[in-house]
Amino acid sequence: MTVLTPDLVDQVRENAEFNASACMNCGVCTAICPLGSEHLPRGIFRYVLLGMKEELLKQQETVFSCLLCKMCEVNCPAGVHIVENVRTLRHYFDRQAFGL
Amino acid sequence: MPLPTGDTIGILTDNLRLRRSVLPIPVESAIRWTKGLNLPRGGKRVLYTGLMYQLIPYIEDLVEAQTKLGDSWLAGLTGVGRRMNRLINVAAFLAHPSKQEQEAYDRIPRNVALLLQRAGVEFGSLYEDDLYSGALAYDLGADEALRAHAQKVYAALKKHGVQEVVTIDPHTTNMLRSVYPALIEDYDIRVRNYLEVLAEAEMLPHHRLEGDVAIHDSCVFARYEGVVAQPRLLLEGAGLTLCEPHHAGTMTWCCGGPVESLYPQKAAQQAERRVEELHAVADRGVTMCPLCYVNLQKAAQDRMRFDDISDYLLQAYEG
Amino acid sequence: MSERKIGVYVCHCGGNISDYVDVDRVVDAVKGEEDVVVARTAMFTCSDATQQEIYDDIQQLGLDGLVVASCSPKLHTFTFRGVAKRAGLNPFLYTQVNVREQCSWAHTDDHAGATEKAIRLVRAGIARTRLLEPLEPTVVETVPKTLVIGAGIAGLRAALGLADIGLSVVVVEREAEVGGWVRRLGPMYPHDKVGADLIRQLESEVRRRENIALFTSAEVVRKAGSFGNYMVDIKTHGQSSMTMQLQVGSIIVATGFDTYQPEEGEYGYGIEGVVTLPEYRAMLDAGEGPLIHHGRVVQSVAYVYCVGSRQGDGGPHQYCSRFCCSAAVHSALLLHRRDPAAHQYHLYRDMRTYGRYELMFLESRDKGSLYLKFPEDEPPAVQRGTDGRLLVTVRDQLTDQSEVQIPVDLVVLVTGMVPRENEELVQALKLPVGRDGFFNEIHPKLRPVETVVDGVAICGACQFPKNASESVASGLAAVTQSAAMLKRGRAELDPQVAAVDPELCSDCGTCYGICPYGAISPRDLTTGKRVAAIDPATCKGCGGCAPECPERAINLQGYTRAQILAMIDGLTKEVV
Repeated sequence: MTVLTPDLVDQVRENAEFNASACMNCGVCTAICPLGSEHLPRGIFRYVLLGMKEELLKQQETVFSCLLCKMCEVNCPAGVHIVENVRTLRHYFDRQAFGL
Repeated sequence: MPLPTGDTIGILTDNLRLRRSVLPIPVESAIRWTKGLNLPRGGKRVLYTGLMYQLIPYIEDLVEAQTKLGDSWLAGLTGVGRRMNRLINVAAFLAHPSKQEQEAYDRIPRNVALLLQRAGVEFGSLYEDDLYSGALAYDLGADEALRAHAQKVYAALKKHGVQEVVTIDPHTTNMLRSVYPALIEDYDIRVRNYLEVLAEAEMLPHHRLEGDVAIHDSCVFARYEGVVAQPRLLLEGAGLTLCEPHHAGTMTWCCGGPVESLYPQKAAQQAERRVEELHAVADRGVTMCPLCYVNLQKAAQDRMRFDDISDYLLQAYEG
Repeated sequence: MSERKIGVYVCHCGGNISDYVDVDRVVDAVKGEEDVVVARTAMFTCSDATQQEIYDDIQQLGLDGLVVASCSPKLHTFTFRGVAKRAGLNPFLYTQVNVREQCSWAHTDDHAGATEKAIRLVRAGIARTRLLEPLEPTVVETVPKTLVIGAGIAGLRAALGLADIGLSVVVVEREAEVGGWVRRLGPMYPHDKVGADLIRQLESEVRRRENIALFTSAEVVRKAGSFGNYMVDIKTHGQSSMTMQLQVGSIIVATGFDTYQPEEGEYGYGIEGVVTLPEYRAMLDAGEGPLIHHGRVVQSVAYVYCVGSRQGDGGPHQYCSRFCCSAAVHSALLLHRRDPAAHQYHLYRDMRTYGRYELMFLESRDKGSLYLKFPEDEPPAVQRGTDGRLLVTVRDQLTDQSEVQIPVDLVVLVTGMVPRENEELVQALKLPVGRDGFFNEIHPKLRPVETVVDGVAICGACQFPKNASESVASGLAAVTQSAAMLKRGRAELDPQVAAVDPELCSDCGTCYGICPYGAISPRDLTTGKRVAAIDPATCKGCGGCAPECPERAINLQGYTRAQILAMIDGLTKEVV
């Protein structure tokens, strides 16, 4: 059972762009990912939006193994800036997990 | 050994901050490609390498040292420690590519310079002020380091009175053209890739090339920068028969390169799958990005041979 | 009975019928029936070409009876009555036999059986037709005045629409004030106009019109008469309680809806901080800035959707209430406007912000509203938290089916519309009530505001859940229907109604109580004999009275006792 952290998205976002509100969970991104990452990106974005911080922090490897190849982004029917969001998440990990 | 992602990113940001490159290399290695070209220093238009090709032999050298450990070249640096790296350029000790290795990659910016001259484009070079673009820092979310570094790059461009930059590889193109404007106020540098410049020049080939070649689009070119038609125009104009793999153009598949620095095994797996796709349509392949080239060639071994697009173009369009 | 000349037309319906029913065999079997002078098949009987064929047969062969064996009478009765009329044949000398819905579609697995059934049905149709007599429609004069029941946004707008066309209007509202639910609303989507202002505007318009009379605190208690000429009793409450009688030509019912009232404990209803959508909306519409509830700033809200709607088998409200998704999303935008920092969680089953409301849904997501999809069989649970806040537990199907807990300050139960209790009015008007409790139209697409009671139209959310703009649109549709009938000044009514043979009637009184439409009343003949008489304008031709009459004095015209018996003979005749 996860208790939601309401301002997680604000912590992630800080001054950068993070916007997945248009995501309708269709799953195209997951299906089309060349790496076949199970969690990227819609699942991880949900963690951020809902405020599931612990679940998010477990996803370090997935976040950093993204190729940033934009295959998902150009095929996203909702026009989510997926790659920008992943970079923002990396920046969040840099601060949060690595203390950079 | 679990990958120390944090240390890795720390080291490269330190490098970027202290030595103006994620992997600092000697100045003579950075500018060797200009030898004999008599390029003016600075000027309104410059050919900008972003060190991408010059860095490759160093990275390859580190990779070779590290593959035995099954880790990335950056992870190797972290073994020495981030604290140490701040004082001493660790990479300089670990990587000593031979002159031969380096010249193989110096050839590419030289190819491009010759092609541009052939197309009648006037340009200079920034020599030692031709800095790394910060692409890796950008990819890894090291925003603060990137922001500071971008200012240095911009200052260097301004110092030499540059108004327009002609880039070679996709990552530098993307950074200077699409990322910097968001980082630098009133950024006013016009950025074009040399493939765009050449495609517009409508040159006629002096030598007709023949044969099939599998085209590997760079993700950054195809999906970030919209460079899809230009390489096809130029290669087909040269007489080559282009073979499109299953994933091509805006739907191209990544070479795996972007995660090479952190997850080399994942990078290798992706490169392997991509080579299979390319090999299915032709026995030789053409790349447009040094990272694609290195990753795919390494995965292909002797199965197929890759060449940089500039090699083909120079053969065809050289006077 | 003299000899008749009957034409029989059996339809392929493209294949809809002939793929299962051997239409040639049907024709063979019936062409020898007494009085049948022509029997043939047609690919599409309703096509212009076949209509012309029938027309020619009527004229050239002098047909005086028509049997069409094709689809349901609901579809083409008026088509073939029209053919008969054009050809100079009384349109009531025609029988429609349904061999599609009742034969080919019902018995796709039994071609022989379907064919045999078709033969029997066609024979019954022929038997009836042989005994048909010409009928003329009842013509009534219409009163150019409409009664509008309910002065919500639909009723008020309908009243203005009728008045604009030049009809007199009487508006009756049960409450002391007009405006219904909309009067209580603040800014409404998409124009942001305040509900109360809209109502004020409509009310002042209505009061200004000379041809509209508005009665508040008033109810319709009785209706008599028939379409075009209804007598209604209106009772007013309050200080000057009285009953008045009005003559109107038509009636528009716009009595609106009630909101679902959750049971104690349903999604935590009853716990401090758990409110229904209308309660929440009232909170939002009062005041500005961050929402304060019981002295505390509401920093986070959870909305639970589909409360009291889509209840599945067994529940009284199985329908989707349609408006509530959009209304809840709109409320979320209103809260965001008051307090952008508020966290809003929407726990839904399916989002149905149809049409342009989808944009509102998008906007809310853009502004930070979060949407979690819970499984139908595992609804969210609401409990009191330890810190005085509320704790909502929900399984989010969009996040790995994770069960999450959301601490919130307010839980909004997104309650839907339920039919308004109005038994007296239903009885007085004989309104048709559907299984869901809302009033029923005749046909949802083709006759969307008319009811089976001639001249009584329905509109707004008494028909099914509608938002304000949809309610007004249906109100104006009802205006058009009503006005179209009344402006003609006269109406033709179906003559296939019941009639009493005064010779046979013994005034036993059995039929008076049977008629669901109150069409039968005693009448004194000039001979001094008292008999039952049926008002042809009120009778719907249901036939309920005929078999009850112990003297067999009542016959339904077009379905007389003799005709029915003949049909039974036709049905039971051996099919060889």
